[in-house]
Amino acid sequence: MRFTAVVALFPDLRAAELQGWVERGWVRPEGDEPDWVFQEIDVARVRLIHDFRREMAVPEETMPLVLSLLDQVYTLRGQMRAIARAVEGQPEAVRAAILAAIRG
Amino acid sequence: MKDPYEILGVQRTADEAAIRAAYRKLAKKHHPDVNPDKPDAAARFGEISSAYELLSDKDKRARFDRGEIDAEGHEVHQERQYYRDTPGQERYEQAGGFSQEDLEAFLAQAFGHAGQRSDWGATGRPMRGRDMQYSLTVSFVDAARGTTRRLALPDGKTLDVRIPPGTEDGHVLRLRGQGGPGFNGSPAGDALIEVTVAPDPRFRRDGDDIITEVPVSLKEAVLGTSLEVPTIHGPVRVTVPPGSGTGTRLRLRGKGIRQGHQFVELRVVVPPGDEPELAAFLKTWTPKGTSNPREGS
Repeated sequence: MRFTAVVALFPDLRAAELQGWVERGWVRPEGDEPDWVFQEIDVARVRLIHDFRREMAVPEETMPLVLSLLDQVYTLRGQMRAIARAVEGQPEAVRAAILAAIRG
Repeated sequence: MKDPYEILGVQRTADEAAIRAAYRKLAKKHHPDVNPDKPDAAARFGEISSAYELLSDKDKRARFDRGEIDAEGHEVHQERQYYRDTPGQERYEQAGGFSQEDLEAFLAQAFGHAGQRSDWGATGRPMRGRDMQYSLTVSFVDAARGTTRRLALPDGKTLDVRIPPGTEDGHVLRLRGQGGPGFNGSPAGDALIEVTVAPDPRFRRDGDDIITEVPVSLKEAVLGTSLEVPTIHGPVRVTVPPGSGTGTRLRLRGKGIRQGHQFVELRVVVPPGDEPELAAFLKTWTPKGTSNPREGS
């Protein structure tokens, strides 16, 4: 999706504001200005930032902290899923050994 | 259907004049009557017309741009795509991964052993244990009189829960220190037990009073009788005085919850089926009083 199309999704979002979000690295579309291309995940993230700023009134200076914590959680969730899948794929004996090791 | 901007070959930012110009040019080129040798010209021309119809209408164009309607002008059912459900979060992943402690804590949680081991313990900082939530269903009588129940906890321990007399449906009991263990000298969390009181068809509750409805026959109501009625403290004999009616309330002192009473509400049941003798008697019967039950109504 193009920059202008993303701006058009929100009646109260100005191009300058979205541009600021991209420049600060809150959203990272592909390509170079002004030919930015927003993938589905980028649009979902714009919606999320929009919710934070408008619905929840998170101050601008707090946003980097909020997004950083959010990204840490999602990073860990992804890693945990990967590990859980890996453990699940093991033979029963290996799973039991892993569990025993965790329980100490 | 394709994107109307694409069909007309214009930018999304194109103004009305540019859209009109593009439309006219394409319409001329693809009009079926100037393309008799091209069977698909009609379809192409239709597409161009529809695209122009949408983009030349200011309101429709704005709604399309906002994603509210599709290229055919139909309402789009917009389902909000939440970030958490959107694939591709890796794009925003942060550098760095699990440390050994993180991994252990994570797996402990994943396999249901939260609190047994936590890397919080290793930090040396005190933290109060978690509150644990349980639920318990007790009978109406047990809730009214109070009772003790034994809960088997998921970790194999048992917990004796005292249900105080008069416990109401939905009440939450808090047992201090019976929740998850604390860390580094901090106290354990609490066990929170939500009590559900199962209804009992025999009893109703009004504060600390108990109300029981008891059916009596016409004969019992007129002549009086002695009946056994259920109370939360077991069956009790009660005397029904002669001349009782529907709605007469008999009080059983101290048979309610705590200092409350039980009230027996009588409901007179007229004998079912034919009672010719009763009917014959009532025809000749003149009541002594002149009471009209509908008086004043």
